[in-house]
Amino acid sequence: MNQGRTLNVLLTLYVGLIFAFVFAPIIFSLIFSFNSQRFPTIPLGSFSTEWYQKILSDADVWEAALNSLIVSCSTAIIATFLGFCTAYSDYRYNFRFKGPYLALILLPPTIPLIIMALAMLAWFSKIGMSGQIYSIIIAHSVLTAPFAMAVIRLRLNQMDPDLEAAAWNLGGSEWATMRHVIIPFCKPAIASGLFLTAAVSFDEFAVSWFVSGLNKTLPVIILEIVQGNIDPQVNAIGTFVFLISMTLVVLAQIFFASRQLKSIRA
Amino acid sequence: MSAPLVIFDKVQKHFDDFVAVKELDFEIREGEFLAIMGPSGCGKTTTLRMLAGLEAPTTGEIRLSGQVMNDVRPHERDTPLVWQSLALFPFLSARENVEFGLKMGGVDKAERKERALKWLDKMQILEFADRDISTLSGGQKQRVALARSLVMEPQILLLDEPLSALDAHLVIRMQAVLTDLQRELGITFVYVTHSQSEAFAMADRVVIMGEGEIAQIGTPKDIYRAPANQFVAEFVGRNNILSGTVAELAQDTARITTPSGDFMVPVNEVSLSQGQNASFVISADLVHIAMAKPDGENTAHCRLISEEFVGSMVTLFLEDAKGHEFKVQMQERELSSFDLKSSDNIWLSWDTQSAHVLNES
Amino acid sequence: MPTKPVRKFSLYALTWRLPIIVWQFVFFVGPVLFMVAMSFFLVKNYRMTEAFEFVNWTKMLSRGYFWDSYWYTVMIATASTVCAMLLAFPAAFALAFRASETTRRWAIFLLIIPFFTSYLVRTFSWFVILSESGVVNAMLGYIGLGPYTMLNTNFGTLVGYMTLTLPLVVILQTVTMANIDKTLIEAARNLGCKPLATIWQVIIPLSKTGLIIAAIFCFILSFGDFVAPFYLGGSQEPTLPILILDTTKSGQQWPRAAVVAIMMMGTLFAVAFAGIALAYRKRKGAK
Repeated sequence: MNQGRTLNVLLTLYVGLIFAFVFAPIIFSLIFSFNSQRFPTIPLGSFSTEWYQKILSDADVWEAALNSLIVSCSTAIIATFLGFCTAYSDYRYNFRFKGPYLALILLPPTIPLIIMALAMLAWFSKIGMSGQIYSIIIAHSVLTAPFAMAVIRLRLNQMDPDLEAAAWNLGGSEWATMRHVIIPFCKPAIASGLFLTAAVSFDEFAVSWFVSGLNKTLPVIILEIVQGNIDPQVNAIGTFVFLISMTLVVLAQIFFASRQLKSIRA
Repeated sequence: MSAPLVIFDKVQKHFDDFVAVKELDFEIREGEFLAIMGPSGCGKTTTLRMLAGLEAPTTGEIRLSGQVMNDVRPHERDTPLVWQSLALFPFLSARENVEFGLKMGGVDKAERKERALKWLDKMQILEFADRDISTLSGGQKQRVALARSLVMEPQILLLDEPLSALDAHLVIRMQAVLTDLQRELGITFVYVTHSQSEAFAMADRVVIMGEGEIAQIGTPKDIYRAPANQFVAEFVGRNNILSGTVAELAQDTARITTPSGDFMVPVNEVSLSQGQNASFVISADLVHIAMAKPDGENTAHCRLISEEFVGSMVTLFLEDAKGHEFKVQMQERELSSFDLKSSDNIWLSWDTQSAHVLNES
Repeated sequence: MPTKPVRKFSLYALTWRLPIIVWQFVFFVGPVLFMVAMSFFLVKNYRMTEAFEFVNWTKMLSRGYFWDSYWYTVMIATASTVCAMLLAFPAAFALAFRASETTRRWAIFLLIIPFFTSYLVRTFSWFVILSESGVVNAMLGYIGLGPYTMLNTNFGTLVGYMTLTLPLVVILQTVTMANIDKTLIEAARNLGCKPLATIWQVIIPLSKTGLIIAAIFCFILSFGDFVAPFYLGGSQEPTLPILILDTTKSGQQWPRAAVVAIMMMGTLFAVAFAGIALAYRKRKGAK
């Protein structure tokens, strides 16, 4: 049993190492964003908010941040709507070509982003929709809808299979049932989908870079800075970006698991 | 009894590759408590769902108060259903659940609340009105489900095995609640179950279904005493079934030769002819046991295989020389007067009039 | 799902079924098909004209640098997959079999977070950490080692790929192994199988499908990523995604880029297909 215990200790250390590897870049970025030195290394320089001041006074950064905000919010709404429609259709109906139908929404994440970026750029240019904010919104909705669909579909699995029919039986038409039963039931998953798709959109850089033209989002700004010289401003922007996306993902997870929280009824 | 409320006219239901309901022709009478009973897959739930509009008959008509219902959508019908899984809305309180049907019907808020509370009170769960459904016990949820359907004040209430998820002691109590309710309200109950004891305990009439067809319709007592065919006989009650050929026919009796011996049966509705194959049934509680061969026309010599005690009733399982199984049912106190130690030498007997010839269908 | 009455034509059903069909056809199928078509277009004087010529294909596929890049990408993506699967396994094993249910849930909760946060910034962080005068070399300097060149090497690229794929692979492996029938492990022990051997004899065969799926995801992600080889690998040896990047951004040669993209997609389909067939392959003779 001694072996068992040593093994457990080793395994725990190993898991710790993996987590350290995964979170190290995030933590380092945070630490260095307050570091006065231009080039982040140890020993650390002095504490400084210089980089934050720099980015907060940079108009380009503000504009990109606003663009990112608009894009991720719009994407969230469109993608979650599309995801809901598809999840409900999958749940309720059996029809011919259901396989290809589901493939249609579930395929995009399997295609490398760089390829999607190229394809979207070319297509949007052809139909005259490139270089606008809405171009990014549309592209992101295609990329993130599968996540919303998966989350909502899982929630529908938890629904009593007779619930919809029970509502009809009590006099609710299909539309009334959707409004008074299905949607209220799916609220946690819908919220989760909104936050998740917003998070994915907020961090997406490849497609944004290709398609956005002059309307840059925050990730695109980051890309451009990174391509230049080492500039610690990136750490400051990065910290903000981390905080926002982490908050969104955590909220998404909380809503997803909210069934276990009795206090949240909806 | 009373006028037919619902008529099933040559109704059939086919799903892609299998026939759930072969042909249904029966009526449901106003104010009656009707049970539809049968083993899994017999088509009873499909029948109920067709009545609720959740399935459409492949052929035939279903008429409610004379009106053909085939094309009437589920939400346009007035046939509230109490579901096997209860199907309560988890995101609504008990009261809001009960109000749901009224809300769909456009009843205004104040009246909805009043009617819902009235029914919650009637079902003795008023204190739980604003509670979350998930905090209620099985029995309490059952009552919410009932209130939700009854608040609509329908003509007919459908119930799909509503007691199957309850603990045994609650089942008995709920059976009493349901029968009292039905009598008090006077509305028609259509109750689907696979449990013979439930159906026979509560219903005025029972429809027994097997493999998509009706095997027999009648009062519980009629079915118990006079099963129409082998399927019903085996499914209902503890019956002894013997098969053989008609050796001799008299005025109102016949003698049937079986591997277990010759037995006399009364000839009532079923017409028999010499040499014909026939089966007959003797209910287990009409068979007497004795330690010595008794007088009488119908006797069998058996040895005891096992005994089964359920409450105060005991069922004896015996076997004759030919290996045919017999069942005898009696009260436990009756049994104690017999010495079954010589279990190889038990004599069974019954009155000719206790036997009942089956239809060969 | 229970059967529900559906009329021949239902506006309700259509309202929910159509949106995704229309949207995806216009904005997903359209772009992909157009890209395929574009591989046959011509570029003259920096302007692209629609045509149906094979010149882009012949030129690209006859170039040495394309095939060098192709095989390098396959090699490095495979290395990434092997690396991630091996690194993840002990952690996933610990989480699936030694951790409590709560610990496991928390671990997965935490691992999901970086997966959805800025991969770019994390890569940049590694760039800084791994550079000649960065944190790692500075720390090694204190104990008299180094400095080691970690950037602009395959090692750097692999670190980048791990940043991208490790969280996902750990999650997938953990979930797969946590869901196998534990009584089978006990049965094997009962029949004399040594603890370490149960991993090879019981756990891995039972987890086969999930593990192969994890590997496929990892391969696809690594194969298609340009950030890791570009920033941490120094694109000494360009991978296919970098080729697309260069051809599009600097060269404006979209049709050529399309050829590379299609070759990539073809390879990934083949890998996914083979992987899934392997994952779900039934024993010989089984139905």
